[in-house]
Amino acid sequence: MKILIAEDDLVSAKILQKNLVNWDYEVVLASTGAAAWQALQDGDLRLAILDWMMPGMDGVEVCRQIRRRKKYKYTYIILLSAKDRKPDIIMGLSSGADDYMTKPVNFLELRARLKTGKRIIELEDKLLFTQNQLKDIASRDGLTKIWNRTEIVRFLNEELERGRREKTPTGVMMLDIDHFKRINDAYGHSVGDLALLKVVSRLKGKVRKSDKLGRYGGDEIIIILPNCPQAEVKKVGERLRQAVGRRRIKTELNTIPITISVGCSTSDMPGNSTSEKLIKTADRALLKAKELGRNSVVVAGQGRKPALENTHV
Amino acid sequence: MSDLSHPDPIQPIDVGEILDRIGGDTSFLKELLNIYFQEYEKKKGLLDRAIADQDFTQLSELGHSLKGSSANLSLTRLRKIAHVLETAGKEKKLQSAREAVQALDVEVESLRAFLAKNQLDQLP
Repeated sequence: MKILIAEDDLVSAKILQKNLVNWDYEVVLASTGAAAWQALQDGDLRLAILDWMMPGMDGVEVCRQIRRRKKYKYTYIILLSAKDRKPDIIMGLSSGADDYMTKPVNFLELRARLKTGKRIIELEDKLLFTQNQLKDIASRDGLTKIWNRTEIVRFLNEELERGRREKTPTGVMMLDIDHFKRINDAYGHSVGDLALLKVVSRLKGKVRKSDKLGRYGGDEIIIILPNCPQAEVKKVGERLRQAVGRRRIKTELNTIPITISVGCSTSDMPGNSTSEKLIKTADRALLKAKELGRNSVVVAGQGRKPALENTHV
Repeated sequence: MSDLSHPDPIQPIDVGEILDRIGGDTSFLKELLNIYFQEYEKKKGLLDRAIADQDFTQLSELGHSLKGSSANLSLTRLRKIAHVLETAGKEKKLQSAREAVQALDVEVESLRAFLAKNQLDQLP
């Protein structure tokens, strides 16, 4: 584990370093507060031994700076000082130090105290890991593991914002499995689930890395396509439709044919500036694809039934 | 300043104590003492200037720093003198500060002489 020693007295720094190296720490040395602060910009440096008295920025000031910063993971700080009066110790700890040791340092004690620091850091790592895991679980659909509705809409909004800045269009696709209810009724819900999983896996194989899949509800899947103009979106939709429908799906007992209908919309179409409108027009296009006999791709504003289109454009 | 004007009867370095702290590594101790002497030479220039400028803050800071490194190397006598210097700086007493600076010089020389005469690994 990396550790910082901020100590202006070279002899003290050397003795500390020798001990820490013996205890398998990777030591970074700084002889001023400013140099310590510079070194602490390295996010992997999470243990710090700071001498209080240093020229310029002192150890207490470095402590305060560390505690003021955001984004960084926790830095465990041991403040060293020859000051051993209670008010000094209290002031040192109040500046944000986790621990306080008086000089000259007893090395057996330091070693034990560093173990405490390591424990705290490991605890934080575990906590952050679990937090990320939970965040991921909360952002995904339980069955298909693609993004859930809240998350995919959030992503669409971000993508539209970026598209506006970078002047690139964003594509949205709404698609669902044709006659999904019939599959569920005929083969049971476990086969319905399996069909959904297969469709998702076939879709994933055909989209770009930057495209994002989400489960909008039921068997309705939404795909966000960054930098995808109106002229492109139909081709992508066609590719996906074919990739899904080309082969039948194997279940435990039999194989069943499966197809999807796709509705597409892009932000470079007039009036499609918000995520709500984009989703709505893509949804309408999907409806039209169903009306056209399913297993087809419809781009909003390009269908054969202008009556429907007039209601939303 | 009786503790400065009369040479201390004890040895300038408590070898047993310092070796205890660094795991008995005498070559490391030699390295540390070399650093100490080099640092002292740098500080000596600063001390003389601080005396001339009557820069009490600087005197007390240098005293504090020397006290720390002397304590770390178990240089008992030097630690005491450095402490006197630190206090003199804080209390703005130029005469005691000047005496302390001179005493440091004398003591560093006697440490050198002591180390030249005695093998570190043969001391008790």
